[in-house]
Amino acid sequence: MTSVRIENLSKTFGEVRAVDGIDLDIPDGKFVCLLGPSGCGKTTLLRLIAGLEAESGGRILVDGQDQAGIPAHKRDFGMVFQSLALFPHLSVAENIAYPLKIRGTGAEERRKRATELLDLVQLPHIEDRAISQLSGGQRQRVAIARGLAIDPKLFLLDEPLSALDAKLREHMQIELRQLQQKLQVTTIVVTHDQREAMTMADIVIVMDRGKVQQAGPPIDIYRRPANSFVADFIGTTNLIPCTVKDGRSIDVLGHEVTLGEEDVINPDVNGSAILSVRPEDVAVTERAGDHTVPGEVAFIRDLGANVEISVRARDLEIRSVCTPKRRPDVAVGQTVGLEFHTGRCTVMAS
Amino acid sequence: MSTKSKTLHFSRRRFLKTTTAVAGAAVLSAPFISRSYAAEPLKIGTYGGYFKDSFDKHIYPEFTKATGINVESVAEPTGEAWLVQLQTAARAGQAPADVSMMAQTTRLKGQNTKLWAPLSEAKMPNVKNVPDHFVHRYADGSISGVGAVSWYITLVSNTEKYAKAPTSWKELWNPANKDSLGLLALVSNSFLLEITAMTWFGGTNAMDTEEGILKVMNKLAEVKPNVRLWYRDEGQFQQALETGEIPMGQYYHDVTGLAASEGKPVRSTFPKEGGVLDSGSWSVSKASKQVDKCEVFINYMCQPEIQAKMSRKVGTAPVVNRDILDLTDAEFAAVASDIPPILPRYDLYESKSDWLNQKWSELIVG
Amino acid sequence: MTTPSHRLSARPLAIYPAAMLLVFFLIPFGIMVVVSFFHRVEGAFFEPAFEFANYARFLSPFFGKILATSIGLSAAAAVIGVVVAFPFTYFLTTMPRRQQTVILVFLLSVLSLSEVIIGFAWSTLLSRTAGVSNLLVWIGILDGPQAYTPSLTALLLGLCYLGFPYAVLVIYPALSRLDPELPEAARMSGASPVAAFFNVIIPVMRNTIVGTLILVFVFTLGAYLLPQVLGRPQHWTLSVHITDQAIFQSNLPFSAAMAVFLLLVSLALVGITMLLSQPKGQRS
Repeated sequence: MTSVRIENLSKTFGEVRAVDGIDLDIPDGKFVCLLGPSGCGKTTLLRLIAGLEAESGGRILVDGQDQAGIPAHKRDFGMVFQSLALFPHLSVAENIAYPLKIRGTGAEERRKRATELLDLVQLPHIEDRAISQLSGGQRQRVAIARGLAIDPKLFLLDEPLSALDAKLREHMQIELRQLQQKLQVTTIVVTHDQREAMTMADIVIVMDRGKVQQAGPPIDIYRRPANSFVADFIGTTNLIPCTVKDGRSIDVLGHEVTLGEEDVINPDVNGSAILSVRPEDVAVTERAGDHTVPGEVAFIRDLGANVEISVRARDLEIRSVCTPKRRPDVAVGQTVGLEFHTGRCTVMAS
Repeated sequence: MSTKSKTLHFSRRRFLKTTTAVAGAAVLSAPFISRSYAAEPLKIGTYGGYFKDSFDKHIYPEFTKATGINVESVAEPTGEAWLVQLQTAARAGQAPADVSMMAQTTRLKGQNTKLWAPLSEAKMPNVKNVPDHFVHRYADGSISGVGAVSWYITLVSNTEKYAKAPTSWKELWNPANKDSLGLLALVSNSFLLEITAMTWFGGTNAMDTEEGILKVMNKLAEVKPNVRLWYRDEGQFQQALETGEIPMGQYYHDVTGLAASEGKPVRSTFPKEGGVLDSGSWSVSKASKQVDKCEVFINYMCQPEIQAKMSRKVGTAPVVNRDILDLTDAEFAAVASDIPPILPRYDLYESKSDWLNQKWSELIVG
Repeated sequence: MTTPSHRLSARPLAIYPAAMLLVFFLIPFGIMVVVSFFHRVEGAFFEPAFEFANYARFLSPFFGKILATSIGLSAAAAVIGVVVAFPFTYFLTTMPRRQQTVILVFLLSVLSLSEVIIGFAWSTLLSRTAGVSNLLVWIGILDGPQAYTPSLTALLLGLCYLGFPYAVLVIYPALSRLDPELPEAARMSGASPVAAFFNVIIPVMRNTIVGTLILVFVFTLGAYLLPQVLGRPQHWTLSVHITDQAIFQSNLPFSAAMAVFLLLVSLALVGITMLLSQPKGQRS
């Protein structure tokens, strides 16, 4: 039962503001991903929560208690590090039970708990192995088991899967999510992989330049990005300059488009803006019509599972993706019309 | 003056030391080129550094002027290395130096193997100026060597710590001087056994037997609580003496005098038992082909005026009797004393060196 | 395909270290071993022979005690040196890069000081007339200046000072390569910084620590000037006696025998240390 509240938190390293006035609410039992490009401050934010860095300003409240002055080793959190940081001089069981040993738990109980946790991470019967004998995936699970050994208030993971190959990583993402759902531990994961965040998180927090750009459920962020950074960072999108006229009418590349009720015009928009629309929400029609934006097919890529069509409109290249079944009968060089699916357009400040 | 004192005691130290490991290599390779007798200058060996420099400057030019004999000045390596080189070369009929300045122990070792050419007393009339203990003879009475330079080791003290000069070596045993003495660390260069024998047993004859030596050693062991520093490096003791860190000990008379003349609060005292008179002597290799020229040189060196000059310019004590010297009282006191000296028992260091060394180590360390 | 040519080109390269080892270590050592069996001629040099007299002379309670003193002193200096150097180096690696460089350069410059300079500097610092005790008198801690040298403490101080920069320079690369997340993982597991240091950093660095201990031990074993300058005669190590025999007594066979003995004993000690320090599970 752990909730986290962050108020106006900042951290500076010399001149650099790594974390710049962040406010956040993390409800109990949620799986949260801190997502952003490298250097965005996501790892620093995690380390501030862990207590491995001291805040330069603001507060971190865990279950309403200010964490300032509580050293890392007294916060009762579990953490998985990017390097995993397993202790090479200890066996698997000793690694997992180290947090218990520090807290004075007896040898027998430690052993029992290690076995229990190894079952939980699906690695039975390797208690006495040396760390050097384990594969990458096994080490990953042992590190997770150690992080969970004390039933932590908060489970923190810093790029935990980055050392694994792509296939194993996808597998572990699902496993980690299932594990968290089973244990209901409030979990914060740092990642730069938006697919990973989409797979695991209840809440994605997109960060850039030390600030939170957007926080919310992954699909909301995907559908309704708050700004062009988020729109571009999460998935692929077409960012098209536009001008907002009165009401829900916008001018896109010289053509007037009327937005539907479910399309989003961000409140900070005024005059010239950017229209974000995902490739799968752009349809290519064989002829340009009144409600379409005209363009010329520049390139067609048939990947089997789907078809990508690049259309040149003025000096922009706009991408459309569709299933082969819905592939329009167009060829490179042909003049076509672009139609944006109603309800999937977001207009944001430029 | 200070550079003189530094180099002097430095070369003294080396003078007293014996073989270095490096010397072994020198022994193995000594190609000596024979030259025609007439063209050959007289090769004179002295210790490299202060002694050689002093001889080059003050002695050889005037010797050549006076006798017409050209000199080739040879720098000797320290101690036994030179003896070994001379021996090896002599076996091949060569002489790296015709006449060499030798420390007494090494000179004795050479004498035992008859390395030194016997010298003619008749050709060296000035040798009569030299007291007997500086004229070394083979058993048949022929001369194997003549004293070259000498110096005293005396009782030195810091004048700020000791307002009154000590008068006896017995001060070394005085319990009041706990932890305040600096003494030489080696049996063969400290001559502390001779000092002990002279001070407590009536003379160095007490050491004629091993039993007697052990008795002397036991007496000497009583000074250990008073010794702060057993030194091998003179510089360390001299500095400690000058600062008063170690206010008393044994040291070189002339170097201490130089320090005092520079205003350092130190003094050298000849105890009533005498200062230790250590020395180097001229010896001629039997392989030398110009023994006669060597005799001319030794005779030249035994002149009172040359000895006086050495005392003034080099700081050594004269090896001739005082009454024939024109040294003033102050000049004489700067290098020597009228109190009869304690003469080292070099014979012991030659015949019992390992035994003495072992017992000495056990005495000091134990 | 490339393997044969690799072998061909690797062979001359392997000769180089082998030749260096032979010329600079094995041959001189061989000469020393041979000389240690030679016959000492009192009043001269030595002559070729094969006798155990030199070793027999060494096997006495007197030299046994000196050997024990040497080993004890060096072991103590190694332990103290590493105990001081390890935390020092650990804090060094946590400092900003530029400060690390400054301190490392300073330590390197300390390495350039010879044993002679270190010995005389410490003997002055610990002296009654010019030493630190005067400072303590000035502050008011002491009533009068004292001499702290010669003494066992002064000697150990000098030996540790001699070994300290080497210890830091050996520990530094290993510690700076240490994953900084290891101690953090310990802290997140609930270990205080001190507990993390002892539970994780020390055990992980075990091989480096043992290696450093051996290095400082062997290094200080060769010190022959510090015991003379800072110690009392009972602290004179075997190295001092070897020097005395070789330089002052021209007894090369005996000093060679002592050196061989010292070498064998320290090799044995190093071997035992390495055996004992192997972590469990890796011991075969």
